[in-house]
Amino acid sequence: MPFLIENIIRVVFVLFVIILLGNFVIIGLAITRRQRREKYFQRIDTLRAEFRPVVARLVAGRMDYQEGLNRLKGISGPDRFYLWEQLLLEKRPSSVEEPILRQLCEDLGLVRTWQNRLSGRVDRPSVREAIARPEGVIERVGRLRFLIRAKSAENLGIIRHRASWPLLVKALNDPYPDLQSVASRAIAAIREPESFLALVAQLHKVVLDASSTALSLRSVKSALVSFPLENASGLLASLRHPNRRIRFLATDIIREMVSREAEGDENYELDRKILGTELVETCLEQLPFDENPDVRARSTGVICFLSDPRSAPVLLTLLRDSAWFVRLHAVRALARRKFLPQAVQIGPALSDPNWRVREAAVTTLRIFGSAGLAQLTDHFVNTEDVYSQEQVADVFQRAGLIPELLRRYAAADDSQAPQVLAQLARLGKTSYMLSVLTNNAEPDLRKKFLLGFGRHPDPQIQAWVGQVAASETDLEIRSMARAAMAGRSLAGER
Amino acid sequence: MEEWRQIFIHGMDMFNVVIVAYFFLGNGMYTVLMVFSLASVWLHNRRLAYQGLDELRESPVTPPVTVIIPAWNEQEIITQTADSILRTDYPGVEVIVVDDGSTDHTLQRLMDYFHLVKMDLIYRPRLSTRPVRGFYMNPRIPNLLVISKENGGKPDALNVGINMARTPYFCTLDSDSILEHDALLRLMRPVVRSPINLVASGGIVRILNGCRVEKGRVVSVSLPQSRLERFQVVEYLRSFLFGRTGWNLLGGTMIVSGAFAIFHRETVLELGGFEHDTVTEDMDLIVQIHHWAVRHHRKVGMCFTSDPVCWTECPSTVRMLQKQRRRWQLGLCQTLWKHSEMLFNREYGNVGMLGFPFHLYVEALGAAAEFLGYFMVPLAFLFNMVPPLLYLLFVLVSLAYGGLLSVGAVLLEELTYRRYPSFRELGTLLFFAFLENVGYRQMVLYFRFEGVVRFFAGFRQWEKVTHVGAGQ
Repeated sequence: MPFLIENIIRVVFVLFVIILLGNFVIIGLAITRRQRREKYFQRIDTLRAEFRPVVARLVAGRMDYQEGLNRLKGISGPDRFYLWEQLLLEKRPSSVEEPILRQLCEDLGLVRTWQNRLSGRVDRPSVREAIARPEGVIERVGRLRFLIRAKSAENLGIIRHRASWPLLVKALNDPYPDLQSVASRAIAAIREPESFLALVAQLHKVVLDASSTALSLRSVKSALVSFPLENASGLLASLRHPNRRIRFLATDIIREMVSREAEGDENYELDRKILGTELVETCLEQLPFDENPDVRARSTGVICFLSDPRSAPVLLTLLRDSAWFVRLHAVRALARRKFLPQAVQIGPALSDPNWRVREAAVTTLRIFGSAGLAQLTDHFVNTEDVYSQEQVADVFQRAGLIPELLRRYAAADDSQAPQVLAQLARLGKTSYMLSVLTNNAEPDLRKKFLLGFGRHPDPQIQAWVGQVAASETDLEIRSMARAAMAGRSLAGER
Repeated sequence: MEEWRQIFIHGMDMFNVVIVAYFFLGNGMYTVLMVFSLASVWLHNRRLAYQGLDELRESPVTPPVTVIIPAWNEQEIITQTADSILRTDYPGVEVIVVDDGSTDHTLQRLMDYFHLVKMDLIYRPRLSTRPVRGFYMNPRIPNLLVISKENGGKPDALNVGINMARTPYFCTLDSDSILEHDALLRLMRPVVRSPINLVASGGIVRILNGCRVEKGRVVSVSLPQSRLERFQVVEYLRSFLFGRTGWNLLGGTMIVSGAFAIFHRETVLELGGFEHDTVTEDMDLIVQIHHWAVRHHRKVGMCFTSDPVCWTECPSTVRMLQKQRRRWQLGLCQTLWKHSEMLFNREYGNVGMLGFPFHLYVEALGAAAEFLGYFMVPLAFLFNMVPPLLYLLFVLVSLAYGGLLSVGAVLLEELTYRRYPSFRELGTLLFFAFLENVGYRQMVLYFRFEGVVRFFAGFRQWEKVTHVGAGQ
């Protein structure tokens, strides 16, 4: 037994020494690593500081191109490639900077190297070289080279190197998931029309045989959406595909492309020159009647931009669809000023059984400006549908319309304002208006409100009147509040 | 008498075996996690070179996210937190602050800072919650909504936020936390890029104490001044860079810190939201998702990523640390107990076969075993059952190994993110990592032991950790 114990003690002691040494080794490693990094990056930072102004002047056109190129070529050392990458791709170039940067990348041999690397031809450094710089280990270890290849694909995308698109398309089927993902993004950045179809093929793959690709649906969609609308006809086959999900995704991608193009342009119109006759006809004649409600819903986002007399009737038909989200998308699509003549037909959506449709209908009418707002307030004061009333009240508050409503009430330039306020009070939606009255209101408004609503049974109004009666400094207003309270008490006694 | 002595000695023998088994099992698993994490975090860090955040930011396909911030008596920091989220770099972010019946000026501070007005909005609860008192908005900041409700605890506040959220994903954020400007974007990156449906995505939580904060942004990172806080910096590094990353790689993720995590809203709604029967609702939700996925044969994923950073205030006093750790341990025990059928259940894959047993035997019960070990092994020594030298060596091995894991975490940080820029800070971190196992570890172990005791005593209460606004 003592012999066994002695052995155990010996083993545990050795273990302790090893672990303790492990501690010191790790501490040493961390410190050495920091020292080496600092030393390495001091050199890099010095060079960066020296050459950053050169690149800045070059891309701004304030320096002779050849002179700048020669200066950059003058950088020596094993890390000059890394440094060029750092200097040229430090931030994403603007459209003005892009051509010069692209030319520089080509002339410095970066493009050729990136292309080689993307194709799998990575130079294997010696052990000494590998240790000397951060990228060295990755270049040396075969299994890690995908990192370099992916970075090369990314770089080609950043400078939008058009001629590299076939290599990138090939990378979409690379066994490394990172390569596939980066390649799809780079293709999206370059936007070469011929590569659009390769991405469409990936979309089909993701839907029909997800195991054959590592790309996510969102990644492919995001890449396709980046292309100009002129490429949308490449999705025609997908719009007619027997798989309902592919039809839906294709429709949604076109919708996203259109909304990106239309962003910021209220009067944006799509014509046959952009989309092509076949696609326009598909959008108007096939998609709104697809058996998949998702397709019908997403088609509205394209139809609303078409300058075709059929677009409004089609959207109004979809506004009566059996699926609530189709109605939702239809009412959202109608939120363009050109559909103002259809405002009356949007009215019934304010009483839709689904609250999201009701909410969208309110928002749509608001976008129509004063005419839409008039219709909305008219509906609000006249409808018997409490859900609809609540929805309108909700949007009135969220959109910050209450102060304006109170202003109109005070100025008496809107005959509906008192009715709207009365309806809000009846619904108990008085917090916002009372907040306005408490914090910012003119004395005339408060007087008028006290006269009109001072005796209203809403508990919040009662509390506010009580507060005014107790602490208001304006004697006239205070006496009005007291009168309102007295009147209410009398009414209560009766 | 001799019979009792024999029973005692036998019992001590058994306990010593448990301690030794715990030591080897626990540390063996930690070693595996350490090796895996080293590789995984290093690789992830290299992959960041082509992450494509710009494309993600500009893509219309990137889904909008609602950040839900539950707050209870957080008047000191709540405006800073909400402001930091509103300035975050993400396309389509909405912020919902849920004031969970605060008794201080949390709501008033928010109203004053953001010029909010009370509104009577429609509340359509899909998850049942305590009553809502009011909604506060500023029409000029349409993406900020403050909700005041009756006190019902953090899960209840989160559920109110989920009810009011409109986006397909929501992010839970502690009110004492500050996100890095692109943290949300980084957190959503795996969700967008993953070929399978990711329903939860967690990021790294780092210690805010000692850092300089300006306008809701961390502008300079440094270590805190107090020793207690420095120890926690090391602890967080170990926990997030090693533990979470390692489990993520092994497919055994059981914890995604609710301080900063993204969830798929419909999935959480289908699950019934955050439940109130544990005091660590975040862990409970993750385990529930595992359950739900197996029951409904859904192929969903959960992931942890080490580059999205959320800075959070750590307890600056021993008392607060005690409350926090006691709660964490209690919640861990409650969650494991609640989902005990997952233990060694093949249906749950690595979660059932690795993650769950590890959390139960090493993290939950191991705390009690280790704590008792500090008392029982000396007793064994007194009764001449263990030679003193062996006992001493065993303690030293245990401490040295703990040190190895901690300095390993600092090395990992050094190899990857290097958030603490000065050489002096690296030295300090290494020093505290080495020292962590002498004193601090035992103190935290005691708090965790208290948590285990409270679990067996049926304690269920949330313990509030007060924050003082640590970012300077």
